[in-house]
Amino acid sequence: MSLQLQNNQRFDVSSIQFLTVDDFQNNVRSALSNGYRIIALTPIDKNIPEKIIAVVTDNASSSINIIGGQFDKSKLEFESFANEFPQTNYFECELSENYGYVPLNHPWLRPVRKQNVILGNKPYHFYKLEGEEVHEVAVGPIHAGVIEPGHFRFQCHGELVYNLEINLGYQHRGVEKLLLQSNSDQRIILSESIAGDTTIGHTFAHCSAIESLTQTQLSLRAEVIRTIASEIERIAMHLSGLGGVANDVGFALPSSSYGRLRTLAINSLLALCGSRSGRGLFIYGGVRFDFNDDIINVVKKNLEVIRNDVAEINNYLFSSIGVLTRFEDTGSVSNDLAKTIGLVGLTARASALEEDARINFPYSAYRYNPVSMITLSSGDVFARARLRALEIDESLKFIFDQMDNLPSGELKSNVGAIKNNSGVVSIVEGWRGEIVHIAFTNENGNLTQYKIKDPSFNNWYGLSLALRKTAISDFPLCNKSFDLSYAGHDL
Amino acid sequence: MNDAIKIRLLQGDPIIHDVRSVKLPPLFRGLPRIEDKECQAGCTKCSEVCPTNAINLNPVQIDLGLCVFCPLCEEVCPEKIIHFTNEYHTVVDSREKLIITKQVKSISPEIASQKIRKYFGKSLKLREISAGGCNGCELELNALSNVNFDLGRYGIEFVASPRHADGIVITGPLTQNMTNAIELCYEAVPNPKIIILFGACAISGGIFQNSDSIQSNFLEENKIDLYIPGCPPHPLTFINGLLDWLDKK
Ligand code: SF4
Ligand code: SF4
Repeated sequence: MSLQLQNNQRFDVSSIQFLTVDDFQNNVRSALSNGYRIIALTPIDKNIPEKIIAVVTDNASSSINIIGGQFDKSKLEFESFANEFPQTNYFECELSENYGYVPLNHPWLRPVRKQNVILGNKPYHFYKLEGEEVHEVAVGPIHAGVIEPGHFRFQCHGELVYNLEINLGYQHRGVEKLLLQSNSDQRIILSESIAGDTTIGHTFAHCSAIESLTQTQLSLRAEVIRTIASEIERIAMHLSGLGGVANDVGFALPSSSYGRLRTLAINSLLALCGSRSGRGLFIYGGVRFDFNDDIINVVKKNLEVIRNDVAEINNYLFSSIGVLTRFEDTGSVSNDLAKTIGLVGLTARASALEEDARINFPYSAYRYNPVSMITLSSGDVFARARLRALEIDESLKFIFDQMDNLPSGELKSNVGAIKNNSGVVSIVEGWRGEIVHIAFTNENGNLTQYKIKDPSFNNWYGLSLALRKTAISDFPLCNKSFDLSYAGHDL
Repeated sequence: MNDAIKIRLLQGDPIIHDVRSVKLPPLFRGLPRIEDKECQAGCTKCSEVCPTNAINLNPVQIDLGLCVFCPLCEEVCPEKIIHFTNEYHTVVDSREKLIITKQVKSISPEIASQKIRKYFGKSLKLREISAGGCNGCELELNALSNVNFDLGRYGIEFVASPRHADGIVITGPLTQNMTNAIELCYEAVPNPKIIILFGACAISGGIFQNSDSIQSNFLEENKIDLYIPGCPPHPLTFINGLLDWLDKK
């Protein structure tokens, strides 16, 4: 009953069957029972809310499956999946907020981004805990550091956190809506600004989606340059994350050393494309900048310093008893829990879930130049930090291999018109995890829907649960080890 | 202990000693130069392609407050009239100074008033407000405190509370959902206080200028002291702009 696709495969909208509400429910439920994971729940046209799709993926078969449902315009309701499959809960909240759906018996329906609109400026009622010796801590939206805004509400008993509720949406600037109104040049800039720490990741997903809708074939050289840039971004942000956790346990020397190495990583992007965050590199059909010998030398020199120094710094950090005491068993997420709530990316792999889109849904140059799946099992701050270190090594290996064997080819292929009545699902493994961009067009080839899912959309839920029964003083450390995006969530 | 010394030795001397005259790579897109040439008759390519409407024609003008340095205009100009240099000294103290014309070869802020320098010249504490920013600007502001840029040596620091601050730095296009927080935060900063806008989003909304989820009244109601263009601006742009303005070294 569902349409089965591969990553970035264009399809005709007419090949989706729109089932009755009951059949839709049954199909989604059976897919989820069989271990499929939900990655989107959305109408295919912003203006026709009654026709929706659930997109579920299966790692084993590398398949993306679309299940369509046709609702009655005046009765946008369905029995919530969330009691049985908690991973769906937030997707349902989002669908409800944006299109007025009512997921019946939803366990925890709450605003996702538009609380001002949803609640009519009335205050949101946080989960409450009462009793002697119980206290509540409210943090944000503006936090102590130079970071994005969000509101955290802790219910504590002494030092112990019973519950943490995370309320976001402050960065909401309407990216998805703007994407539909924009021309092609604006769309690329917008996708560079979905989450500025994942410029390459999101632009990669966006360009792949449009290239598939325009049936554009890229040269291998362009594909390789894209994946190298994407691995440099991963290295830079993993270094930043390691610096962050080192800093949060008061270990200044490694922290500042990681910071120094991060500069080398982002300056490699600067050398390649003139921007430390990789802006301007991607264009539809390829890349704007090439690796010439000078740039290859700069980048290799920078990465060699990283390769050498990071090994020493990692040894120092991960052999310190003080550090390990703070990292181990802190903010643990078990494998079961991670699976149930649908964690993705680094956070999922730290709980032994094999979730990596580069391997499960291979795209671009990763199809020919695979990377390894790396997982750890303890699911704690230690695993999330240690995994970063291991992934940096793997990325360095990938980049050096590719740079020594750069294929020849055009930087940019010709891009035709966007096909009409089409859809595409584009998945990319950003440094945090799975990024999904979904696009649909109408009979004129104009976009009717553009849906974005940042890995943070899945993983904020994980942070909130990881905090339970943890000391509130461990919050910064847990938060940093998850290292989630507010902008990517708020859109 | 030995390991610590080893790590310290690896660190070497990473600090940028002379932040005034670093040479950024040629591809870095800083202050644009508009050549003193005539456009082809009727050509409107650059202004048509600009994703943020930063270009006005007859004669060619680029508004750096809107520009995201993408560099589409440079690419499409048949006469190569527009060219982005790697000049990163681009901080100014008024919105008009961000308009680049053929005549403008460099931009910089006026030296701040005696009073401002007396108050803030030796120690300037700033509270950052991220208001719809994509985290690109926030990352560059964070980088200011790393061992390369080491902003602290100039007495300029980011602090955890507006009560400790002498002013605010805003990033992002000021979303509706942040309106209250911005007002509250600014109110909590004791007088006298300054406002700095960091990045295209904060100055003009940038690529988000047409979003109905942003609400930038705050900028009209308050006096802005410094504008730092870029998407995101380079950390050196920030440092140099503040040093120029406070007339330090
Ligand atoms: S570089 Fe600036 S002025 Fe030129 S097209 Fe891009 S945004 Fe517009
Ligand atoms: S100016 Fe650019 S980098 Fe800064 S917040 Fe806006 S989009 Fe992000």
